[in-house]
Amino acid sequence: MNLTLIFRFVKRELRTSEARILVLALALAVASVGAVGMFADRVKGAFANQANVLLGADALISGDRELPASLPEEAARYGLKTTQSIRFGSMVAARSNGANAGEAALSDVKAISAPYPLRGSIEIRGEPTSAEPRGKRMPIAADQSTPKPGEVFVDERLASRLNVKVGDTIDLGKLSPRIAQVFVEEPEVAGNFLSAAPKVLINANDLAASELLGPGSRASYRLQVAGARAEEFAQVIKPKLAPGQRLETVRELRPEVKNTLERSEQFLGLAASFAVFLAVVAIVLALRRYLKREIDTATIFRTLGAGRTQTLIHFIGQFALLSLIACVLGVIGAYLAQAGLAYVVRGLFASELPPAGVAPLWRAFLTGVVLLLGFALPPLVALASTPPVRALRRDMQMPGGGGVIATVLGIAAVLGVVLMQAQDLKTGFIFVGGIVALVGAASLGAAAMLWGVRRVTKARTKSAWQMGLANLDRRRLSTSIQVACLGLGVMTLITVGFVRTDLFSAWQKSLPVDAPNRFLINIQKEQVEPLTSLLKERGQDATFYPMVRGRLVAVNDKSVSGKDYVDERAKRLVDREWNMSSADAPPKGNVILSGNYFGADAKDEVSLEDGIATTLGVKLGDKLTYDIAGDKVTVTITSLRKVDWDSFRVNFFALVPKTNVDALPKSYITAFHLPTNDLKTLPAIVNAAPNVLAIDVSEVMERVRSIVEQVASALEFVFLFTLAAGLLTLYTAVVSTQDERRYDTAIVRTLGGTRTQVRNALVAEFSLLGVAAGALGVLGAVILTWALATRILKIEFVASPLVWVIGLVAATVLTLVAGWLGTRSVLSTPPIRVLREG
Amino acid sequence: MNADFGGASAAPSLSTSNAHVAIAADKLNRTVPLGDRQLTILDDVSLTVNDGETLAIVGASGSGKTTLLGLLAGLDRPNTGSVSWHGEVINTLSEDALAKKRQGTVGFVFQSFQLLPALNALENVMLPLELANNDDAESRAKEWLTRMGLGERIDHLPRQLSGGEQQRVAIARAFAASPSIVFADEPTGNLDTDTGNEIIDLMFQLNRDQKTTLILVTHDLELAARCNRHIRLARGKVIA
Repeated sequence: MNLTLIFRFVKRELRTSEARILVLALALAVASVGAVGMFADRVKGAFANQANVLLGADALISGDRELPASLPEEAARYGLKTTQSIRFGSMVAARSNGANAGEAALSDVKAISAPYPLRGSIEIRGEPTSAEPRGKRMPIAADQSTPKPGEVFVDERLASRLNVKVGDTIDLGKLSPRIAQVFVEEPEVAGNFLSAAPKVLINANDLAASELLGPGSRASYRLQVAGARAEEFAQVIKPKLAPGQRLETVRELRPEVKNTLERSEQFLGLAASFAVFLAVVAIVLALRRYLKREIDTATIFRTLGAGRTQTLIHFIGQFALLSLIACVLGVIGAYLAQAGLAYVVRGLFASELPPAGVAPLWRAFLTGVVLLLGFALPPLVALASTPPVRALRRDMQMPGGGGVIATVLGIAAVLGVVLMQAQDLKTGFIFVGGIVALVGAASLGAAAMLWGVRRVTKARTKSAWQMGLANLDRRRLSTSIQVACLGLGVMTLITVGFVRTDLFSAWQKSLPVDAPNRFLINIQKEQVEPLTSLLKERGQDATFYPMVRGRLVAVNDKSVSGKDYVDERAKRLVDREWNMSSADAPPKGNVILSGNYFGADAKDEVSLEDGIATTLGVKLGDKLTYDIAGDKVTVTITSLRKVDWDSFRVNFFALVPKTNVDALPKSYITAFHLPTNDLKTLPAIVNAAPNVLAIDVSEVMERVRSIVEQVASALEFVFLFTLAAGLLTLYTAVVSTQDERRYDTAIVRTLGGTRTQVRNALVAEFSLLGVAAGALGVLGAVILTWALATRILKIEFVASPLVWVIGLVAATVLTLVAGWLGTRSVLSTPPIRVLREG
Repeated sequence: MNADFGGASAAPSLSTSNAHVAIAADKLNRTVPLGDRQLTILDDVSLTVNDGETLAIVGASGSGKTTLLGLLAGLDRPNTGSVSWHGEVINTLSEDALAKKRQGTVGFVFQSFQLLPALNALENVMLPLELANNDDAESRAKEWLTRMGLGERIDHLPRQLSGGEQQRVAIARAFAASPSIVFADEPTGNLDTDTGNEIIDLMFQLNRDQKTTLILVTHDLELAARCNRHIRLARGKVIA
């Protein structure tokens, strides 16, 4: 390999527009992959941090016995911050000598030590104002967020139940600590909120003196960790945990947060896929034009005595160097762009964006190399086989192909990159399937268009625009390729625009502002009616679901216990009690996936949530036996449901017929929306049903809503890459036939065509190209967005004809403008010059 | 040197000592598929060209002269028959071996110059030397360009040069690798008469100086007359 020669060729060729567009397209692909990858990682990190606020940490290890010292030591080795706490249930009473003496409530007590919390903060309320009648929520300063010995923090639910305030004392075991803070919320709101009791935070040093925990007491010993390598630590530690110990991350705890995070990742991944895909189209087009020029070089090489191998090595070297340059430029661009993006969106995130890792940059770099070589190898092999005699016969047909292996390699490279970018196979295949279908449709569409063109241009004397259309027919292959590429560009831009706006608002709509934010649990049968009318008076049409608690003891008459399962979640499902309910019809947001939902008079049947059935490895027709308050109840699975966890409605894993529930001991549960400024409903409920517990999930909803909003902002920026790639694609598609067009036009002018005739012909040509590509792009976009909405993002598909019309018009105008800009110089260049250049 | 204008013979004069024969073609046939039949482009063409000789191949368009040049130059292969350079049959060599053989044996001058547009004059001339891994490519290329009167224009790109200048760069490229045979395909076809004459003078001068064998394809009978001999092709056969 003659490196000097390769360097010289690359240096010289970078002066040509063909090589420059190719490098630009590749650099843009690399920059898109890199910047979106890095930015998405950082944003995901920030989302995770925010979501982790719900856990008060990045990960939590809990155990029913004291955790070994090796765990915090191991965490420290990963550079993580740690804090330990002990959580248990206990009765808390107002001080017996106070006016409200004797008031007591079961509370969720947590003995903590500084630093606490690791993520998020404990929030208290400021003075009430007219705008914030309940007082604005504000965080406690970090150095004051752990109670001092002899002090406690209680949550406002407990304070209201016991009628106590800051400065009062309460009875807690043998201690009588002073209330130092009444808090609204502390970070750790994750977990099964149905079991949540009002919270009390005490200093860990007071625990022994309180004598609340004796031998055999039930308590949860907890280690919370936070830091950049928390995920890594969690992965390492998970398999090492002893029985009774478990690892919790926010994704495992809250399905609605998990869904939101995953969907955010999908959105970002999709936007990046589009950018990459568009850049790939631009690369293919630019490469086609570039390689056409290289045929002359290959011919000269071969004529001057370079063998096939020598020629191939030279071209591979040349392409490797070109892709190296493009990749380096792309990586630099990616880094700068993501830094810029992070700077622009800095105010949008509650926490600072975590630093970017270099992994996405490497991925981007490799993507670039794989893409260019993948696409270029087959034509390079063909190029190296250019017969030297072509120097004498320029009109010779070029050998096509380049070997089956090389072609397969090219296709594999593209599929690999698109699939990698799409993040999951299903999305990737929808994407690739869409592309293949579109290319097929483009070929058919172009053929139909050309057939029409032939009919229109059959007349012997042709007007200028008929001449223009006839030009399209003469370059059938080029026209088909152009229509396909322009169509793909238009399709992608419309789809991204649609994802950005319509799909997005559909997602936001799935979390309406009046979604239930309070759950009422522990409702007794006789309280259902008064509470229903109480809520109805306030415009709340709440559904009350009976709730029975039972433990799964047998599957198909075979006893089961946690030990029978490997999967952690399955172990937990078997070890703990399930909340089961009954409903005559599938509750709102539930979709029956298989089987039939039981009828009103059915008995001993169960409708299971699909995910839990998969976790437990059970299917339709299997028998599940539950232990409900000492009674064994066996039910057969007759339907599987998909549950919309995002809805914040009351959802159940297991629904059984009313006839089963009627006979069992049960309480009721409901959910309703409590407006922020409503100060009367809760006291009224407590008054009517003092035993009922009201659970506030507004915090979780706020987090989810804020994540959704931030994804929207992030997408706006990622969209810029897609837009740049899209415009580059449109440009390369238009200029791909520029040379032929310039030559043809020069001939027409030489033969006496006027400038007006030539101009009209060009306008007719580009207009028809634009309309065809626009129509194809819109059609593709409608199908693709429908597939994305219904199959991937699981969002309602909303047709938006206005976007389609705008897409069609914009495609036509853009094609016309770009085409005109690319070829208009031919009108002012003397035809002889164009002809001489060949 | 054979000065006989009708010297092209139907049978090769292989009886002459091979040491003096630069090129020998024996019963060359070349056909191309045309639909379901074969179109004969060259039909049983044989000829010999001695070292240092200049031969013009003339004929009407489509008579097969460029095809013959391609076969003689080892750029294409005959369907039957053989071509040998200095006594060595070349059309049985492998693709890469033939390419290697072309390096340093043959040089080319084309009607359309065939300069690479991205490379400047110097780099275009250096190219065959570099492909042959010649160490003094640059100095030799410079020397040749100076000799062609282009010493001041070595860093100009082809599009910055006139047609005559581009052809002079192409001639420099053809002779720089010291070939023993130079093939020229309508070397003046793209040039005006004066420039064409200038180029032809230059080529003949170099041919004498470098003692190369020159084979050229032309329509121009005046140019053909300047060669030691010429052969005329019609419908793929040598007719004179």
